[in-house]
Formats: sequence, structure tokens, C-alpha cells
Amino acid sequence: MSASPTSTLTGTTRRSLTNDPVLTVEDLRVQFPTDRGDFNAVNGVSFTLNKGERFGLVGESGSGKSTTALAIMRMIKPPGRIASGRILLHRDGDTVDMATLSPEQMREMRLSAVSMIPQGSMNSLNPVRRVRDHFEDSILAHNEKATKGEIAERMNELLAMVGLPVTTGKLYPHELSGGMKQRVCIALSITLAPNVIIADEPTSALDVVVQRRVMETLGHVQDLIGASVLFVGHDMGLLAQFVDRVGVMYRGKLVEVDTIQNIFTAPKHPYTQMLISSLPTLAERGAFRKARSASDAATAASIAATAATPGATS
Amino acid sequence: MDLAMQVEEQLVNAPPDTGLRRRTTWKYLRRNPKLVVGALMFLALLAFSFLGPLFVNTDEAAPMSAMPVTAPSREYPFGTDDQGRNLLAVAVVGLPLTLQVGLIAGVVAIFIGTILGLTAGYLGGWVDLVIRGVCDILLTVPGLVVLITVAASIKGSISVQTMGLVVAALAWMWPARTIRSQVLSLRERAYIQMAKLSGMRTPEIIFREIMPNLLPFLAASFVGSVSAAILASIGLEALGLGPQSEPTLGMTIYWSITYNAVIRGLWWWIVMPIALIIILFLSLFLMSAGLDEIANPRLRKADA
Repeated sequence: MSASPTSTLTGTTRRSLTNDPVLTVEDLRVQFPTDRGDFNAVNGVSFTLNKGERFGLVGESGSGKSTTALAIMRMIKPPGRIASGRILLHRDGDTVDMATLSPEQMREMRLSAVSMIPQGSMNSLNPVRRVRDHFEDSILAHNEKATKGEIAERMNELLAMVGLPVTTGKLYPHELSGGMKQRVCIALSITLAPNVIIADEPTSALDVVVQRRVMETLGHVQDLIGASVLFVGHDMGLLAQFVDRVGVMYRGKLVEVDTIQNIFTAPKHPYTQMLISSLPTLAERGAFRKARSASDAATAASIAATAATPGATS
Repeated sequence: MDLAMQVEEQLVNAPPDTGLRRRTTWKYLRRNPKLVVGALMFLALLAFSFLGPLFVNTDEAAPMSAMPVTAPSREYPFGTDDQGRNLLAVAVVGLPLTLQVGLIAGVVAIFIGTILGLTAGYLGGWVDLVIRGVCDILLTVPGLVVLITVAASIKGSISVQTMGLVVAALAWMWPARTIRSQVLSLRERAYIQMAKLSGMRTPEIIFREIMPNLLPFLAASFVGSVSAAILASIGLEALGLGPQSEPTLGMTIYWSITYNAVIRGLWWWIVMPIALIIILFLSLFLMSAGLDEIANPRLRKADA
């Protein structure tokens, strides 16, 4: 397999972090109307993704991390909407605000500029269509003149990049294992060499060995096409090995953004502190059985205090 | 290259076992006797109507071509009617005409129903509201009354083809509604979101991603529509509202009623069309139920 010759998830060479932004999200707000007024699922999120960077977005369920990812893809389902904010994509010296593009312009951006590996990719392939049909559809959606030969050539190239044999093309999704399906999804997401790959919990529902291989594959193809990765997840252990910087989301807000080292060694926000302290260690075996200690209660109280923002009732 | 990788590679590099696929198809068909029996009966009917002309003089389906009012005999196995038609010839000529009415109506109804159902189900919103509203309103209209009115007003010039279109005019709403409800569930699947994320256009998603998933369902709906259309056309024809010069099964029933076949004891005149209709409907029903089992595996029995 050519995809994972390295022994660490992050790759052999530490990618040098540049200050060359690819994606700038400014004051993003996603609203869902409810009977009790608009609910801000994403409430003024701002962050920058640099070229070649791996940025992690963590937070508990319902914190708005997946919604942020979907908003960048402009895939928020009505009645939800992007209420305000800018999603600036910088490429080829140009800057486009994706929040203001027409649906057709946005359709062209998907896959060619920003692609997404969706959550629960176990079902992300159409059960009645062969793997090669998925590549054909994706390529034809952006280039109607692509010939069968060109499509097959590109598919074989992509399958090799994610370490799958070319014969995978003629299989149906149910003939693939979970890890293989996920690697097909990764191959699909880089079909048109996008600038940004959004991975929304791409390894949920996979066992740890397969999880590792999928992460290696993702890192490998990212390096090959020079894309940036926005990684959405809640597995701190996985993130620690993969990402360069982390944004911690809590109740729709980005409460802390820092390098992965700083987040682990010196978390500032109380929620981040709780997140880090909840990571299991062998030294604390049996800790679950203890009643919540006084310090935990204090942490929880201080989080509630900081997060008590209007409109963010859940 | 570790062990897991090698295993995976062996798996995907293994040549596809076509023998296995054939064996499972055979095994599956044995477990779906409805489909097999229905299809065999239907094939027998097709053979009867397409091979029949080789053995029977189809000119005898016209009036005054045979000795009138003859009970089934060696010469006329199905007997002859009051007008001097050889009823065997009538059956050979009339069955494909009746099938033609059903097929025209079934194809048109499923075509319109599929397009409207897919559009309404996938797009939702006001498009769905309009299409669903029109379907619901038309579904409340008593179909036979409208069909009788339409057929009666064009009675003189009605042909087998127009008969099919008349029946199709009120046959597309039910397919549209059922297909729409299937699409409502399909459009929420993860692979549809994946298609959107890949930048596919709406028509491409509808016809390349959603429609292939509906094919077994469409097949079952199609067979159902064909039998409903045949039933409607026979109903109209038995009332005398069909093509007057074509010996379809429904028109044969009409003539037998008009000439008091039952009272006069000419039982063979009315038995022929009714027996053929029963066989035809049995085969269509069995095929529809068999296809339904493919579309909806929960209907399958555990083992049979």
C-alpha cells in the first residue's frame, strides 16, 4: 500500500505552518427558527484555515461543529439558514465569499474547491450503483465532456492514492468493508483536488485499527494534493495525533482556538479543561465509579456561567 | 503491507463468482414462486396471441366468416358466435388488442406518475404542494363516470390506441402518490447528501441516484397499472364504449350481452373472454405480488 509508508499519523515531515489563509470564516451565524424565537446553532464563529493546515473542530454533541461544517458547504437545510457572516475562500489569488454565491455557483464550488467526507460514511455510497459510477457522476457533474477513458484513468489514480486496488471500481458498496468504503469516500472527495477537505467524524463507527488506516489515508492524500483539512470530531485522542490546531466549540460558540500542544498542556476555557481532564488514563482506573468530586462540580458550574448567553438555550 | 491489507486485496482481486450469482438467482426464484408462476402464465398468453395466427385463420375473427352459433367442436374449438365469428380466432386477435390497451395506459400512467412523483418528492415545498394537491383532487373523482363520459363522446372514432390514452388519463395519480412517498424516504439517505456534496445537479441526483433505487418498485407499480388499465378498458368496452370494429375481449363481452348469449344458452360465447380475462389477471396479480416481494423484502417468507 502506497498510502501509509509512515509510522505516525501526522506524516514523516512536520508540515511547516504558514500564514497563508485558504479559508476564513468570519462571524458565522446559523439560525433555526423555533416556536420560542430563532435559535443560533452556530453563534458568531470565526476562524482561519491556512494552506496545508489541519484544523480540528471539537465539541460535544449539539455544540454546532457539524452545523459549522455544513454551513461552509452551504448545505444547511431549510428552515435553517446562514443568518450572517462571511465564508471567504482564497484561491489562485482570488477571494470568494461562499456565503453570497448563487446556488449554481456554489454547486460548482463543491468538490472542486471545498469537499466534504460526510459523517457516517458507511451509508454514503449508493447501494445500487458501482463504485466507478460514483466517480463518473462526480466528474460529469463538473465536466460534462469528460470521456469514459479519462474518468477511468482518474478513478484508478485516485483509488491508488487511497491504497485500494483498481478492481474496487467494479464492486458494489455492499461488497466493501467499512474501512474500504470510507477510503472510497476519501478518494471521491479529492476527485477534483479541492483546496479544502472537510472531514466530519470520518472514522465514527470504525474500529480503531481501521480508524488509524483511514486517518493515515486522509493525511496522505492531503499531502499529495496540498489541501487543507477541517477535521470535525470529538475524539481528542485522534485529534491530538492528527491536527495542528484545534477550535473548541461549546453551545454554538468557538470558545478557544489554539495549537494542539497548548490545548492539551494549558487549556484556558473551563469546558476545554473538562474535556482534557476527561481523557482516560490508566492511573485513574475506577474513577467512573466515584461520585462526582467537588472540583468537577465547580468546573461544571463555571462552564454554565460562561455559556449563559441569550438565545443559546438548548 | 500488513495482514489486514493483504486480506482485503485478496478479497477485491478475487474473480467474481458468476456461478454463485446464477445459483442465488435460481435459489431466489424458487423462493418466489408467485413471480415464476405469474410470468409463466403471462408468457403462455403471449405465446397464444403471437403464435396463434400461425395455426388459426385470423380472418375468421370478422363477422360472417364461419357457421354462426356452433357449440365448441373439433372444427371450432371455442365455438362460433351469432354473427359468424370463429371465437378461437377472436381470442387470438382480441387478446393482444386488450394487452395493447393495458400496455399503452400502463406506460403512459407510470411515465407521468414517475416524473411527477420524483419531482414532488425530491423538491418538496410548493412544487410538492401543487402536484400533491392535483393528485388528491383527481383521486376523489369517480374514474368510471369520467371515463364513460369521455369514451361516449368520442365513441364513433375510438381506436385501441385512443382507448389506452383515455384510460391513462385517470391512471397516473396513484403511481405519482406512491412514488412520491418512496422518494421522501430515499432523499434523506446519506448517499443523496454525498451526491449533493459532490456538486451534482438536481436532475442528475433524481434520475441517476434516486431512480435506480426505485426500479423494483416501479416494476411492481407498472404491472399493477397495466392490470388496472385493462380492467378499466374492459369495463368501458362491456358497456359498448370501446372500438366497435375491433374484437377485443371487452367488446366480445359486449356483443355477447347484446345478443343475449346467456339466455339463449350460448355459454361458450361468454366463457371465452371471461376465462381469458381471469387467466390474464391471475398472471398479472402474481407477477405484481412477486415483484412487490423484491421491492419490499419484508413480505418474503422466512423459508419456502
